Amino acid sequence: MMWKSIVYKEWLKIRWFLIGYTLLGILGIGYLFLTVKHGFAFSGGKNIWNSILFMGHQFFSPLKYVPLLGGLTIAIAQYFPETVNKRIKLTFHLPLRENKALLMMHAFGAVSLLLSFLVFFGMFTGFSLLYFPVQMVTDSIISIFPWFLAGFSAYFLVALIVLEPAWKFRLFYSLVGGFFLTIYLNSPVTGAYDPANSGLFVLTAFLSIALLFSAYRFRKGEM
Amino acid sequence: MEKISRYLLVFIAILTLAIILPKLYWMAFEKPVRKPFILYSCINDDFMIHRISEKTWEDTQGKQYTREEYEQKLPMMFEKQLITSGSMPDSIKGIALDMRTISKAKSFFRLKASEIDAPVPGLYPLFESQSGRAKLDLPEDFFRITWRIDFIEAATNKVLEEKSQLFSAALFQNGFSFPAIKISGISTPRKSADEGYFIVDSKDQLFHLKMIKGNPYVKKIEVPEGLKFRHISCVDFKNKDFYAYLFSDKNVIYILTQDDYQLIKWPVEGFDASNCDLKIFGDLFNYTVVVEAEDHIKAIALNPDYQVVKTYTETWKLKEELTEGKIFALLFPAQVSMTSDNSKFIRFYFSLSEGFNWIFLNILLMAFHFLWLFRRKVKVKNHLTDLGIVAICGIFGFIAIHFFPNKFFD
Repeated sequence: MMWKSIVYKEWLKIRWFLIGYTLLGILGIGYLFLTVKHGFAFSGGKNIWNSILFMGHQFFSPLKYVPLLGGLTIAIAQYFPETVNKRIKLTFHLPLRENKALLMMHAFGAVSLLLSFLVFFGMFTGFSLLYFPVQMVTDSIISIFPWFLAGFSAYFLVALIVLEPAWKFRLFYSLVGGFFLTIYLNSPVTGAYDPANSGLFVLTAFLSIALLFSAYRFRKGEM
Repeated sequence: MEKISRYLLVFIAILTLAIILPKLYWMAFEKPVRKPFILYSCINDDFMIHRISEKTWEDTQGKQYTREEYEQKLPMMFEKQLITSGSMPDSIKGIALDMRTISKAKSFFRLKASEIDAPVPGLYPLFESQSGRAKLDLPEDFFRITWRIDFIEAATNKVLEEKSQLFSAALFQNGFSFPAIKISGISTPRKSADEGYFIVDSKDQLFHLKMIKGNPYVKKIEVPEGLKFRHISCVDFKNKDFYAYLFSDKNVIYILTQDDYQLIKWPVEGFDASNCDLKIFGDLFNYTVVVEAEDHIKAIALNPDYQVVKTYTETWKLKEELTEGKIFALLFPAQVSMTSDNSKFIRFYFSLSEGFNWIFLNILLMAFHFLWLFRRKVKVKNHLTDLGIVAICGIFGFIAIHFFPNKFFD
């Protein structure tokens, strides 16, 4: 019963941000493929394909910071209210193991973000397959995959930073987190992230429990 | 669980610092290597060296030349300048010179290691080789080779079944073993003529594929037993002597002659496709092959029969051997980079610092951390892992464990 209440509380916090972000993302991807359609109509399909295959044109590049923005938005919407008057303390007083309650909140946020990303990813893949063959779509997916991982990492890192009680350490985490995010966001040729994606996925998974560290420090009363 | 989360964060911090700090260090202290521009002179049968940053021109004996003298030694390279200044010879080595002959024999080729280790497009335009038009047109469809060859029309994103079957059958009948492992051609319509593609199949056999009046032209090329190609670069030189430079997995350079498909091995040694850049200047009298490695440059002059006539090597210190490199190896035990000069792929490029001088700083930082713990009167046995992290990861570990402190775990 308790977990349902936690999920409901988290939903109340993030719902408008999640819905707003997802709608904006859908509109963004719609616009992206409108430009592709326009390009096909005005420049011709062969020239669009040629510019993507041999001239380094990346039609998906406007998406680069969209997942990152989502991770930041959901994390701030979910965790910033918890720091006002240290409300997170209330969660720690629930008749649940502290980490379990926290991980439940975190998993809810991450799954919400995942659903939003899946919508984008599905739309992107579906529309791409209308205009491009599998090889080109696969290379595009290899290129955008780290951007989505960056979205999750940003979500996990902001949770870590926001829950940290001491300002000095917030700054330290921000420094490490900010530089860490850059490894997802290099601007190489299409498909270049292929050898790195599995490693980046593991690193992102590592970060998923990062907030336990700052929450622990919070509970222990670090100032 | 909290402890695990801390160690994971420390790991992420170490990785991040091992990427960022060395990058910042080299941005601040790295000095550029000014590689000389080397060409073989058909006038004095020696290499001419232009040191661009020093603005000097010399030969391999160190004899200095003025710019004008230097250009006169390289009439095949600076023919326009020599004609303008009226100092172009009428003939060299008994061969009468005219602009057309010079221009036709002239070729330039450049290959970087990062072009070899790079993602491939997977789809290629197959041009009509004998369209009868002065200019080539980009075709409406692109091909891929999987279990057969597919032609896909760009406008509709649909497979052209009839054309795909026609070309697949032609490849199959010539002994092609699907899929292709390498497809090389000149994919731009901005070339003098179309010569199609050179394709290595799954059995390392080499094929030439082009389209002539809508029909497939497939030629299986005889290559020595066991020869595997690492990279093929097609060329479009005016003399039409050869189709491509081919690079074997053992770093041997070959050329494939036009029309008669002779694979000729070039006697070039010292080229490693994984970390060298290659420049080849061809003219009426010689080919100058320049291999640029991280710590040396090697120039090899070949005669028109592709025999070595002279070589010249110049070395310099690696950045690791210079003062700034030694200080680097003192500060940082290793470095990680997501990019490499020798590849277009993003990877975790890990390189350990030269020598073990970084151990001193690691021990110093470990001792400092030990004293810091001692003064705080904490149980050192709860911090042994942290001390181990500093011992191995040095400055990266030290910063990481202080950014994510082990405060409440004792």
